[in-house]
Amino acid sequence: MKINALLEKLLSRTILSLFLVYTLFPMLWLVMASLKTNVELLGDPFRLPAPPQFGNYVNAFKSAHLALLFSNSVVISFSATALNALVASMAAYVLSRYKFKFGSVIFSTLITGILVPVSALMVPYFTLIRTLGLYDTKLALILTYTAISLPLSVFIIKGFMDSIPGELEEAALLDGCDFYQKFFRVIVPISRTGIVTAATFQFLSSWNEFLYAMLLTSSEQVRTLQMGIRFFASQFTTDFTSMFAAIVISIIPSVAMYSLFQNQIISGLTQGSIKG
Amino acid sequence: MQRTTHFRTGAILFLLPALLLFAAYFIYPVGYVVVVSLMKWDGMSSPGFVGLRNYSALFHDEVFRISIRNNLIWACAEALIQVPLAIVVALLLARKPKGWKLLRTIYFFPHVISGIAITMMWGAIYNNERGLLNGFLRLVGLSGWEHNWLGGLGSAFPSVLVYGLLYIGYFMVIILADISSVSRSYYEAASIDGATRTQQDWHITLPLIKGTIATCVTLAMVNGLRQFEQVLLLTGGGPANSSSVLVLYLYKELQNFHYGTANALGTVLIVLGGLVILTVRRLFNAAKYDM
Repeated sequence: MKINALLEKLLSRTILSLFLVYTLFPMLWLVMASLKTNVELLGDPFRLPAPPQFGNYVNAFKSAHLALLFSNSVVISFSATALNALVASMAAYVLSRYKFKFGSVIFSTLITGILVPVSALMVPYFTLIRTLGLYDTKLALILTYTAISLPLSVFIIKGFMDSIPGELEEAALLDGCDFYQKFFRVIVPISRTGIVTAATFQFLSSWNEFLYAMLLTSSEQVRTLQMGIRFFASQFTTDFTSMFAAIVISIIPSVAMYSLFQNQIISGLTQGSIKG
Repeated sequence: MQRTTHFRTGAILFLLPALLLFAAYFIYPVGYVVVVSLMKWDGMSSPGFVGLRNYSALFHDEVFRISIRNNLIWACAEALIQVPLAIVVALLLARKPKGWKLLRTIYFFPHVISGIAITMMWGAIYNNERGLLNGFLRLVGLSGWEHNWLGGLGSAFPSVLVYGLLYIGYFMVIILADISSVSRSYYEAASIDGATRTQQDWHITLPLIKGTIATCVTLAMVNGLRQFEQVLLLTGGGPANSSSVLVLYLYKELQNFHYGTANALGTVLIVLGGLVILTVRRLFNAAKYDM
């Protein structure tokens, strides 16, 4: 019995450690490679960089125009996140707090969007954006990202709003709040957790998005970071270390966002918001 | 009375932006994809109605057959490898070993980082001459196993497919959350009866989290159908289209202005997605599962 328990523990530790190494090793190796010289990298891929070449990062910034790409990504991701949070919480507010004839039909139609493979809709998105005259603009991506994750955001935020007790609203009504005041002063502050959860997911997916960034823009002026590092890789195939440095830089904001809102993400996944 | 009208105006105003965006980005495009899939159209000249000819052309097309086969393999591999691994790890973490919270955080990491970054990282690992994988094989004296991973006909698709399957954090977190919501009293009763942890997991935990597993299987399979970035960046679908997938093929057809075929591919993807959802629902037949 005792030996069995010991074996079980050993097996469990082994499995957990294997996944840990699998997850971490490539990332650590990437950071290490970004600090090497190209000669070092080609020589022995496993040796530590000596001395660390921070110049790779400077190089990446200069030759890949990272500053421009970075600011484009920031503008696009933050605008899409803010717009998505606003539109989604407005809709969630009505769908959660008001009972009307087609309310549940509208809600269930909206959330089927969560499972639609949006990459299948490339052609209509492309023609839609061209027809609106938005091809190759930041607004094209902002609108697209806002719309694509709308079903998920409405779903998450409505879930939180549903749990707000009705008495609170009645109190607000007695205090003379109208529709809009009730939304901005009572419901939004209380649903903060839900809105932040949805916004975090939205930020990460906009920051990391690639397909539509590639399809709906073409010039460098509006190019996002993800597109930029892809371009960088195909243009400067010999300068591997600067490419790795650029990748590391592109990862930093998502990792920062995740660390900041880690509990939100975990509880967002936890509270059944994604589970359905 | 005046108050009600006021509230009705507010409600309509608040719903409108979401409904407009949804109509423009989901309802209209799905209809568009289906309708244009019945046409021969290059996006400029006037479209001509061709019925199901785009579809019959696809089914005789080798690249399409390879792509759909690869996508189905991908969807099944996610359901049969990734989800079970996530369940095992979630069960292990649910026993709260030392540092389980940190592990939960780290396992989720790959889902935070962009697919582009991860894929380029793996491109460097698979690289034929300078790659980490071949370097490692040389290091441990297995130089006979060295291989042009992304360039080989037989190895390109498996190489593109396999590394992502082992990133289990997303499903692991969802399952772990569901496990922790199972009432303690079941386990207490079981341990009084002398059931080991493994027996408890098998007979109590797994049946109780069936609904969540069904959700994960659905998400995993739909995810397998959506794959694109990994293939585009690592192999571009090659060699000889052996690693092609539907979304990549759709993208190429769009670039060639074959809008009819591209949308036929889109329709196939949407239908496959719907089939996956229905099948999983039927298989698990779980009342709790409602997405």
